[in-house]
Amino acid sequence: MKALARGWLPCLPGVLLALAALFRPWLEVTMARHMGLELPLLALLGWWAARCAGRRLTDWLAPWNAAGLPGLLAAWCIASYWMLPVALDEATLAAPAGMAKVAGMVLAGLLARASWQAAGPVLQGFFVINGVWMMLTAGLLYQEADAQLCSTYLIDEQLVAGRALVLWALALLAVWLFAIASRLAVDPEPAA
Amino acid sequence: MTRAWGKTLLMVALVLAAAGAAVFATTRGLRTVSADGARRLDLARAPRELPALVLLDQAGARHAFGGAAADKGGAPLTLVTFVYTQCTAVCRTSASGQAWLQQQLRERRLQDSVRLLTLSFDPVHDQPAVLRAYARTLRADPALWTFATVADPARLRSLLDAFGIVVLPDGLGGYSHNAALFLVDGHGRLAAAYDVERPDLALADVLRSRL
Repeated sequence: MKALARGWLPCLPGVLLALAALFRPWLEVTMARHMGLELPLLALLGWWAARCAGRRLTDWLAPWNAAGLPGLLAAWCIASYWMLPVALDEATLAAPAGMAKVAGMVLAGLLARASWQAAGPVLQGFFVINGVWMMLTAGLLYQEADAQLCSTYLIDEQLVAGRALVLWALALLAVWLFAIASRLAVDPEPAA
Repeated sequence: MTRAWGKTLLMVALVLAAAGAAVFATTRGLRTVSADGARRLDLARAPRELPALVLLDQAGARHAFGGAAADKGGAPLTLVTFVYTQCTAVCRTSASGQAWLQQQLRERRLQDSVRLLTLSFDPVHDQPAVLRAYARTLRADPALWTFATVADPARLRSLLDAFGIVVLPDGLGGYSHNAALFLVDGHGRLAAAYDVERPDLALADVLRSRL
């Protein structure tokens, strides 16, 4: 049973990614689903894939990824890029941009997970807080904008997409704070 | 350790360079985050050829539009907007912008060198008679301001693509679309796009080009 589990579990992220491809029209019909559901889902699949790959991936990256710095930086840059309305618009209208988006977001999740342990609490905190701050800002700007930012999404959809971004930012912050709190509860002074 | 850091810093530089290049290209040099803004800046840099189409106007006449046939050198400039006549939202802004431009062009006696063109993206409903009635409600002067749609509805897609207009059903039986005011130059090329609420900027460009 355990051997079987080891056999098929690592395939799950890939299988789910293929499934998500089938749902692409549904996922991209509104801006909220595209930005608030599809993009985070792709990143989470990447994160999960890196978990499945485990040490093999981190060891392979390690010579180029001291303290996980380039990995986390790349993940942060990719996630920020796809929050640009003009980039999101391009991804819905042009197939190459759409593929770049899927590959990029999966890679972002993958790199973030593969770099996470090596980064240690200080770098982790830096990127989490920056990421949260950026998602909050983008989410609030989307809600405030009085012009239609994408040609494929209507102006009232920006409000919902903005709220979704704010919720993801708060969720990320909550999960991270909870993880820190539970570590501190075990060991008041965790090693770096 | 130091070797790993050398490679790591190289990777950091690569990531920053790639991200910077991507953001710079997508935002047209950090000047816009919106799709309409990107289109405006792209056109300002390089006018775009329009596909050769046949338009059907409010009088039922057919006109060649776009393509090489439209390149008559000193042909009048044309200010173009997109509407559908049953629209009650953003098309109204486009139409009132055109009406304002008509008045301005007449006052400046530019009616021979600048024309107005309102294109409908609902060719099935907006037949010549419907366009004629729509033109009347806007007090359009037929000598200066033409209302038209594609003669062949199958060609609508290429017209909208050329102008970067995306039409979406609004869920209330109508359409929603990104509006803009376009300038087609004397060579029949798409030369500029403006915010639909700023016909004054379009007029300023037209006046500058006539000097």
